[in-house]
Amino acid sequence: MSSFGYLIKEGFKNLFHNRLMTLASLGVLISCLVLTGSAVMLTVNVSNIVDSVGDNNSTKVFLDDNLTELEAVYKGKELKALDNIVDAQFVDKDDAIQAYREQLGEAVFANMTGDDNPLPYSFNVTMDDLSRYDETVNAIKGVSGVASVSSHREVAQKLASLSSFITTMSLWIILALAIISLFIISNTIRMTMFAHRFEISIMKSVGATNAFVRVPFIVEGVIIGLVSAAASVGILYLLSDGVINSVQSILNFRYTRFTEIIWPVAGAFCAAGVLVGALGSAVSISRSLKHEGNEILGW
Amino acid sequence: MKGITMIEFKNVSKVYDSNGVHALDKVSINIQKGEFVFIVGSSGAGKSTFLKLIMREEQPTSGTIVVNGMHLEKMPRRKVPYLRRTMGIVFQDFRLISKMTVYENVAFAMRCVGKKNDVIKKRVPYILELVGLGDKAKDHPSELSGGEQQRVSLARALVNNPALIIADEPTGNIDPEMSYEIIQLLSEINKRGTTVLVVTHEHELVKSFGKRVITIDDGRVVSDSDDERYVAI
Ligand SMILES: Nc1ncnc2c1ncn2[C@@H]1O[C@H](COP(=O)(O)OP(=O)(O)OP(=O)(O)O)[C@@H](O)[C@H]1O
Ligand SMILES: [Mg+2]
Repeated sequence: MSSFGYLIKEGFKNLFHNRLMTLASLGVLISCLVLTGSAVMLTVNVSNIVDSVGDNNSTKVFLDDNLTELEAVYKGKELKALDNIVDAQFVDKDDAIQAYREQLGEAVFANMTGDDNPLPYSFNVTMDDLSRYDETVNAIKGVSGVASVSSHREVAQKLASLSSFITTMSLWIILALAIISLFIISNTIRMTMFAHRFEISIMKSVGATNAFVRVPFIVEGVIIGLVSAAASVGILYLLSDGVINSVQSILNFRYTRFTEIIWPVAGAFCAAGVLVGALGSAVSISRSLKHEGNEILGW
Repeated sequence: MKGITMIEFKNVSKVYDSNGVHALDKVSINIQKGEFVFIVGSSGAGKSTFLKLIMREEQPTSGTIVVNGMHLEKMPRRKVPYLRRTMGIVFQDFRLISKMTVYENVAFAMRCVGKKNDVIKKRVPYILELVGLGDKAKDHPSELSGGEQQRVSLARALVNNPALIIADEPTGNIDPEMSYEIIQLLSEINKRGTTVLVVTHEHELVKSFGKRVITIDDGRVVSDSDDERYVAI
């Protein structure tokens, strides 16, 4: 299939000749895919946080560091005596560190057992009526020996609304970028077809079907799509860990890493890239293949 | 003796939409299988239009066209490639791909219709030998004379074993001796059973071969050496 190979090779050469257009196609499609991937990562992680923190309707109450275990356990009665509190579950320091360990992984906590345990005693408090959350938290803060009340639940709520806002925004931007990608790819392919109009006119005059003429140009569009998909996966792979680590220092949590979802994402990206590439080229091809002979050549 | 019809035009008119030019006006022509026909006429007479209608590069404004048993005026676009596979087309300007060798240019026509490589490897050298270019297979078109380039173009037209060869001024870009050779070659091919249609300006050439000549002027057939209706003129 050397003529066929010839056209595909020419297609590659043209990708290079039309550097500017090719780069524009790649740039826009990569932006589109990276943004999609980021939105997916954000949504997955925020919903994890919301699930684990916001869902169990319990609030953490941390006690002063200097309380003994006995004093700490006794504070439970005071907490339960407050209005709107159903239950106050004592959490031993060791249990607390164990729970964190399970969430965050071993390494960080290697030296934090026994006397080196930096955590205070705490209670998991369950409220009856969550609409009175703020009021009840204030009451808890009024109890002597209470150091702080965790605000994970509020963070989760804020995150959830922020993430749904960002997701909606991203969807629109992704849609716009996808349309721009289609447009740019179809123009890139149109330029290639123009560069090959002579071969195309000969192919048609010797009886090549449009499907046959089309293949090399579709291949070209698909290459743009696949390269974009690969580059996007690479970019997300390189960037996501850094972003997650810096977020982790603000809000500690066992985040879903990009490597955990890399294969389904890569698969979806390839499919999307191939689709956009093929569609983009198909648009321009079917338009130019309506012409014949001299009309193609513009003579 | 009545043969089998290869090309039949019945009252064919062609008006180009873009400029309203009446290129052909109620043309009726019948060409049998195995004929060799020259089409002559002044510039702008409608000769190329006549050929474009046969290869369905253009569609008639009115009238009916049958080529090799196929009705062109109602032929859907997707069937056109299969019509073209029954004909070989030769252009005045050769239309060879400069980056390909002679061999590749001819093989290209076979690849375009899905022929297998081993078939191509046997057929292309045979055809190149037939047109007298057996030793030029590895050359590029730019290394050949005009006459040789036109023979490559002819080889490409022949390689898929068409029933009909259409040549629009095939000798327009080459010198007279070479022109004679090209027509000679077409005449050889015709003797093997292929119908040949040649548009040309060169009256001397036409005379020396003594074949059927159809003259078109201003979109009309004004004489046809084989048609008794025109003999009087
Ligand atoms: N694609 C086209 N669009 C509009 N008009 C056209 C087109 N092709 C040809 N014509 C017109 O139709 C008429 C016949 O043209 P045609 O090319 O058939 O002539 P011809 O006999 O081949 O001339 P020549 O000997 O110069 O090649 C001319 O007036 C020409 O200008
Ligand atoms: Mg002409």
